Amino acid sequence: MEPVLEFKNVSKHYPQPSTGVLKALDDVSFSIQTGRTLAITGRSGSGKSTLLHLAAGIDVPSAGTVSFVGRDLGELSDRDRTLIRRDGVGLVFQFFYLLPHLTVWENVSLPAWIASDAGMEERGRDLLERVGLTAHASQEASKLSGGEMQRVAICRALLRKPRLLLADEPTGNLDDGNSEIVMDLLMKLVDEEEGTLLYVTHSDEQAAQADERLALHSGKLGPA
Amino acid sequence: MIRYFFRALRAQLHGGLSLFALSLFGVSIGVAAVVSIQIINLNALSAFSGSMRAVSGGADVTIVGKMPSLSEDTYPRVLATPGVEAAWPLFRLDVVAEDLDFYLEVIGVDFFTPIDLPWEGASVDLSAALGEPGWVAVTPTLAREKGWELGDRLEVSVGTRKAELVIGAFSDFQKATPLASTRLAVMDIAQAQSLFGARGQLHQIDVKIFEDVDQGDVIAELERSLGTQVLVLTPEQREQQASDLLSAFRLNLTALSFISLFVGGFLVFSSTQASLVRRRTEFGLLRSLGATHRQVMGLLVGDVLLLGLLGVAVGMPLGYLAAEANVDRVSATVTNLYLLDAINQLEVPAWFFLLAAAVGLFSAGLGALMPALELGRKDTRALLAAFSLHERVGARAPRAFLLGVGLMFLGGILYWLVGDRWRPAGFIQAFLLIAAVPLVTPLLVQGATGLLRVRSFGLAYGMKGLGKQLQTTSVAIAALAVAVSMVVGVTTMVASFRETLAIWIEATVQADVYVSTPAWRRSRRRAVLDASVIEVLARHPAVEQVDRLRQFFAYTNGRRFSFAGVDARAPGEKTRFALLEGEMLGAELGGIMVGEPLARKEHLSVGDDLVIDGPKGPVALPIKGIYYDYSSELGSAFTHLETMAKHFGDGPVNSVALYLEQGVDSEHVVDELKTSLADVPLTIRSNRRIREQALLVFDQTFAITRLLRYMSLLIAVTGVALTLIVLARERSAELALYRALGATRLQIFRVFLGKGLGMALIGIVLGSLAGVVFAFILIYVVNRAFFGWTIFVHWPIGLLVQQSLVILGASVLASLYPARVASRVPATELRREDL
Repeated sequence: MEPVLEFKNVSKHYPQPSTGVLKALDDVSFSIQTGRTLAITGRSGSGKSTLLHLAAGIDVPSAGTVSFVGRDLGELSDRDRTLIRRDGVGLVFQFFYLLPHLTVWENVSLPAWIASDAGMEERGRDLLERVGLTAHASQEASKLSGGEMQRVAICRALLRKPRLLLADEPTGNLDDGNSEIVMDLLMKLVDEEEGTLLYVTHSDEQAAQADERLALHSGKLGPA
Repeated sequence: MIRYFFRALRAQLHGGLSLFALSLFGVSIGVAAVVSIQIINLNALSAFSGSMRAVSGGADVTIVGKMPSLSEDTYPRVLATPGVEAAWPLFRLDVVAEDLDFYLEVIGVDFFTPIDLPWEGASVDLSAALGEPGWVAVTPTLAREKGWELGDRLEVSVGTRKAELVIGAFSDFQKATPLASTRLAVMDIAQAQSLFGARGQLHQIDVKIFEDVDQGDVIAELERSLGTQVLVLTPEQREQQASDLLSAFRLNLTALSFISLFVGGFLVFSSTQASLVRRRTEFGLLRSLGATHRQVMGLLVGDVLLLGLLGVAVGMPLGYLAAEANVDRVSATVTNLYLLDAINQLEVPAWFFLLAAAVGLFSAGLGALMPALELGRKDTRALLAAFSLHERVGARAPRAFLLGVGLMFLGGILYWLVGDRWRPAGFIQAFLLIAAVPLVTPLLVQGATGLLRVRSFGLAYGMKGLGKQLQTTSVAIAALAVAVSMVVGVTTMVASFRETLAIWIEATVQADVYVSTPAWRRSRRRAVLDASVIEVLARHPAVEQVDRLRQFFAYTNGRRFSFAGVDARAPGEKTRFALLEGEMLGAELGGIMVGEPLARKEHLSVGDDLVIDGPKGPVALPIKGIYYDYSSELGSAFTHLETMAKHFGDGPVNSVALYLEQGVDSEHVVDELKTSLADVPLTIRSNRRIREQALLVFDQTFAITRLLRYMSLLIAVTGVALTLIVLARERSAELALYRALGATRLQIFRVFLGKGLGMALIGIVLGSLAGVVFAFILIYVVNRAFFGWTIFVHWPIGLLVQQSLVILGASVLASLYPARVASRVPATELRREDL
């Protein structure tokens, strides 16, 4: 069966004025099958965010291939990668990235607006209900607590039933209590939706909740 | 810190050149608008003052007549007045030369009096000046311009009287007083009087007073001994008189130009605010490294000063060029409507540069004031975060709205209390309106964008965002609204005035053919129609009736006005003047009709007496009616020719109106009359032609306001571009998020176009509403108070819609570049602090 996401010998280098080149990722290979969850752990600066950017098609590798459902993202135009992101990928960020001037409902609806997908209202309400935020739907996102914000961000990411959900330190900006609640909720929703999740975290405890786990050390991927 | 300022400035320019360039453009155009109008205003009187100094430079006072003519008998009485060291008479006359539009200002002087004429070249043969008929000295500049040489002959006319002048010498008035009119021409006074049929008549007497005598005493003595028929004026008073004449015109232009500067100030506000938002981390860091509040403030002030100075440096030459390009139009107004000298050249004194610098810096400083105050708050970094700023403006929107409504209410109360009776009221109301617009804008933007239902990520989404980014968007929308209000207000006022004038002309210009002389426009009473010419006109077989008009300037209560005598009992006279109040003069002699501007300025009503300075003392004529009068700002009145003759003596007619038999082609009659009177200098115009020309003069008068309107709009549209660039920079993380969520570049481009479109739409709607009020202020308060005209409101809907579409189009065009910038923000730009 074709993996949802596949990294084959992926390297990402950034030119540096002093050292010549920074190897953010070095010959990374892995894949993730539909319905599976994969956690990647690593310290700050280990290349986790770069890996997610490549997975989402936000950036392209310096070497190797990143394939999304068999399509080599490096071969696609910026527009095509954008459309793949729009229609096939959901993103959850460490800092939530909710638009403070939009309401909770509008933030959740944003991917549908971007895709001109008119049939998502019911789905949005359902997701908000499942994360317990129906009452906050018309409230401005800036008025929410951190935990609530991340729950909204998860709803936004899941709205259009993406083939792949990418989460960058989803609890990295939350206290312990909220971290647990949000992580549990994320795993539960992905499970209910039969989704595919790739998340990066520095927490071994959270990484343990995934079906598989890998570790990044200075741009190299290995077993956790 | 100075080193840091320049280092940071370099970095800023490198990173935000387009933002800086747009701000600079806005300030420059604002400064240019004010500078151009001030240069024109400054020079509007320069030719008058220059000519006055050139001719009467050595005089301490000048005596001019209030009556149709100043008798030569006055001269010996002046000389005999104690304290008078010397006096010399002058005879002045504007004569038409070569073609209808060219005139010479002939000054008849007594060459044996102590008048200092700047002769050019070898000594002038005064015997020729006195003996050779038509001998005249012209300025070398004019001679060069016209290709005249010594000995050349020139045919000129005053009224139907023709004369031949001979260029006998050159007199370089510009050498002594550079701004003197190049059209000055000097000849012997006796020759001038004889040539132009005004023997025994003077125009003015210049007087030199002994140095050890009190000037005030001598003036009082002159006034006492010469009676009320003359005015004794110092050079300053004469200049002031001319200045007063133009004051309303100049003041209104100045006020309009300052609106452009005001709009430019908004741009400075936007860019300074954007700079603060962008640099909040930098300022926070500087503070944490020990920089004082004053030092950080210094960085900001330095930026603003630089912007202001560069704005002045660019705006000054731009303003000069704009003034130069438009001087002819204003000059035409000055000569046509106010009968002053044309503006020959533009002079900019040194102090003017300082004034322009002050204006530019003040506008930049004012624009930066609010953002600078933000810096003074605690927790600069957090308070200046874009979102918190927007949120604060949003929270304050209702209060600001109430304040704005309060200001407008105040304007309404002021109108209710003083109406058009107090001149500054109109400007105060306009100021209150313009101040209210930015205050009501945030809530209206919130309300308008709140109504939008967003279902997709496109234009509507972009528009809706305007209400959420108020700190940035409301300023630009307010600037646009102010500019649009000016455009709508002035366009409506001008269109209403034009329509009123057209209706008035339609109603009052009833005769079929009008006959005057080429010199009529400038020389008025001296431009007379010879009785034989009137006879020829009356004898034409198609002419049914001849209406005669005699006109001269008279004085009432110290105010100069145009006084006419007409055949008031003729059938055509019933409709010749559109009545505002009272009734038309009937068969009974003795009454007078007063034009609206004069009635308003002198607070006269039907039943009052108009007291006119007459040759034998004041003449009080009962006012029978007040008529609409748009012919001149000076004011006018008319009575029966017989009444005029009774009180002011007999005099020749200046123009006639011919009523033709029904069915006769007036153009054909005009051609026939022109042929039969080919050798007489006449201006014969058909009813249609005179209507066209009246509207042409009108259009010329208001042409300058078009420049100001467009300048203001240009700044405002620049504001739209600037704001969108600010948003693209300020919200780069938000844009990156959209990209991360799958929005294409084209979608983001459309979102930004939506923002531009939304800003333009709200600005146009709000500006149009304010413009309607502005139009009412201009029509009902400013015009009535300053000019005394009743203008009937006419909405130029087609023109306004057309202008709105142009503004909309310009705003969308202005959005293209920012939209492109925004669409190029990559998804990797996501940074936490910016969301």
